[in-house]
Amino acid sequence: MTARVVLVDDHRMFRSGVKAELDDSVTVVGEAPDVDAAITVIRQAKPDVVLLDVHLPGGNGNGGSDVITGCAGLETESGAPVRFLALSVSDAAEDVIAVIRSGARGYVTKTISPDDLVSAIHRVGEGDAVFSPRLAGFVLDAFGATAGEIAEVDEELDRLSAREREVMRLIARGYQYKEVAKELFISVKTVETHVSSVLRKLQLSSRHELTSWAMQRRLL
Amino acid sequence: MVAGVCAGVSAHLGVPLQSLRVLTALSGLFLFGLPVYVFLWLTMPETDKPPLISPFDKTQQRVPKRRLLLIGLPVLLVGGLAVSGGIRSAGHLSLTLPLLVIAAGLVLVWSRLDRSERRQWLSAEDRRETRIRTVIGVAVAAFGLILLLSQGGGLTRLRDVAIAVLVVLVGAAILGAPFIARLFDSLRQEQAERIRATEKADIAAHLHDSVLQTLALIQRRADDPQAVQLLARAQERELRGWLYAQDESADSTLASAVTEAAHDVETLHGTPIDLVVTGDRPLDESGHALVRALREALANAVRHGAPPVSVYLEAGPREVEAFVRDHGTGFDLDDVPDDRLGVRESIIGRMARHGGEAEVRRRDDGTEVRLRMTGAAESPSNHEESNG
Repeated sequence: MTARVVLVDDHRMFRSGVKAELDDSVTVVGEAPDVDAAITVIRQAKPDVVLLDVHLPGGNGNGGSDVITGCAGLETESGAPVRFLALSVSDAAEDVIAVIRSGARGYVTKTISPDDLVSAIHRVGEGDAVFSPRLAGFVLDAFGATAGEIAEVDEELDRLSAREREVMRLIARGYQYKEVAKELFISVKTVETHVSSVLRKLQLSSRHELTSWAMQRRLL
Repeated sequence: MVAGVCAGVSAHLGVPLQSLRVLTALSGLFLFGLPVYVFLWLTMPETDKPPLISPFDKTQQRVPKRRLLLIGLPVLLVGGLAVSGGIRSAGHLSLTLPLLVIAAGLVLVWSRLDRSERRQWLSAEDRRETRIRTVIGVAVAAFGLILLLSQGGGLTRLRDVAIAVLVVLVGAAILGAPFIARLFDSLRQEQAERIRATEKADIAAHLHDSVLQTLALIQRRADDPQAVQLLARAQERELRGWLYAQDESADSTLASAVTEAAHDVETLHGTPIDLVVTGDRPLDESGHALVRALREALANAVRHGAPPVSVYLEAGPREVEAFVRDHGTGFDLDDVPDDRLGVRESIIGRMARHGGEAEVRRRDDGTEVRLRMTGAAESPSNHEESNG
């Protein structure tokens, strides 16, 4: 399956660099340098995946988050929602939380290898979540899992379940999804389910650490 | 008694109120006391209102009373002599009186400034406003002087003198009050500007020392991709640390020590290391051991393994775990000759000696070293956890 992708980044050099790296399984159908252009291009092209820089000029000053908000509810030709994969040089926790809470399905840093980027695009295009090791580490910190806080029931939004914590720890250790699956004796599909559930918690939780970062950025 | 001037003066100078009143009444009989009284009335701050400048209260008073008296008494003496002489030989009064008043005004204004303001006043280099205000004040004073000098004498003299003195007082007021208010404003503004300027200079200096230098280096070594990558990576790390650094002191925690160790190995061997750290704790004795073991494991990973090399450190309140992972062909601990001390001594032995454990796992695609240290951090700043 070929994924249709829109590239949003204010650095032209970076856009052309990414375009050169992507293989045949990904088609770039549009590019945009700022928030307003991005919303126009995405609404027109209706891509499967938007590769979104976190820091962008224009809009309300919230960068990538503004693009996601501006494209809310948008669907592709086949009826699937347009999905967003955040791509950034920033390691700052508040940048990560802002873009994930706005609805991005994943977050990878710009130093990601071309192969990993392509597989991340496909994964997001299929509706799964993509966590870089760094994002996994941040999630463990933000949910207090490092300090031993574990949810009693899986549905609890403010803490990770024991299994989710295990998955996050392995991702933080640099394991791929299939390696995680093998290590925990579960299927890749189950790993994906856990990751998606963590993503959902990340977006919905009102945990203090999460909301205070968002508050600082005036997102709530 | 009339306007509370005597009470104010006595409070300010510490002179007994009664004797001051008698003195004032006496001097009022000889004319010259009157303008002084009026002047003080106009310039003295009212006590039930907060004074114009906040430092002007008894506790913070910066002018020693003695000094004020030292300056004030001769002025008053000379002025008094001149005035009493002037009454007799009517010609000189017109000159001495305004001078006396101006001198008294300056002394008063001076006495009400606090130290920093005085320094400002003295070092008022090219402050245009100061000069303008001085010119206006002097002009008004001069106008009063001319008014006085052009007097012919006679019965109208007293009223005319009062008018002239009033004009002089207006000059003194223009000189004094707004200047003091102004001083405060400019002081605050200057402070803010200085902070901004310093910050900007800091940023410029930092970018110059780091980014610009590295870019120049990269241009010169453009034909060596390995070197360019290393330079870019080191610069990125440095800039990132500078931009996103937390306020907390960076050198005494386990997380920062591990970060530093990873960066060192990375710089030394030129292999990028993906580092993820969660949690943190103070760096204690066992923490130091863990960092050293981790450094050894990392050096092994970049030397014998294959990239990507990743490090994950999890510092919880009750235990610390660290993982070093590479994607090389891996090795069996049993195959390592006995004389090679790296893994056995520096990693496994060291961890064991400090109450921890180390484990080397061979995987399909590489090796993973796991370091584990149990027990709460030794520092008292790490508050105890009873549950979890």
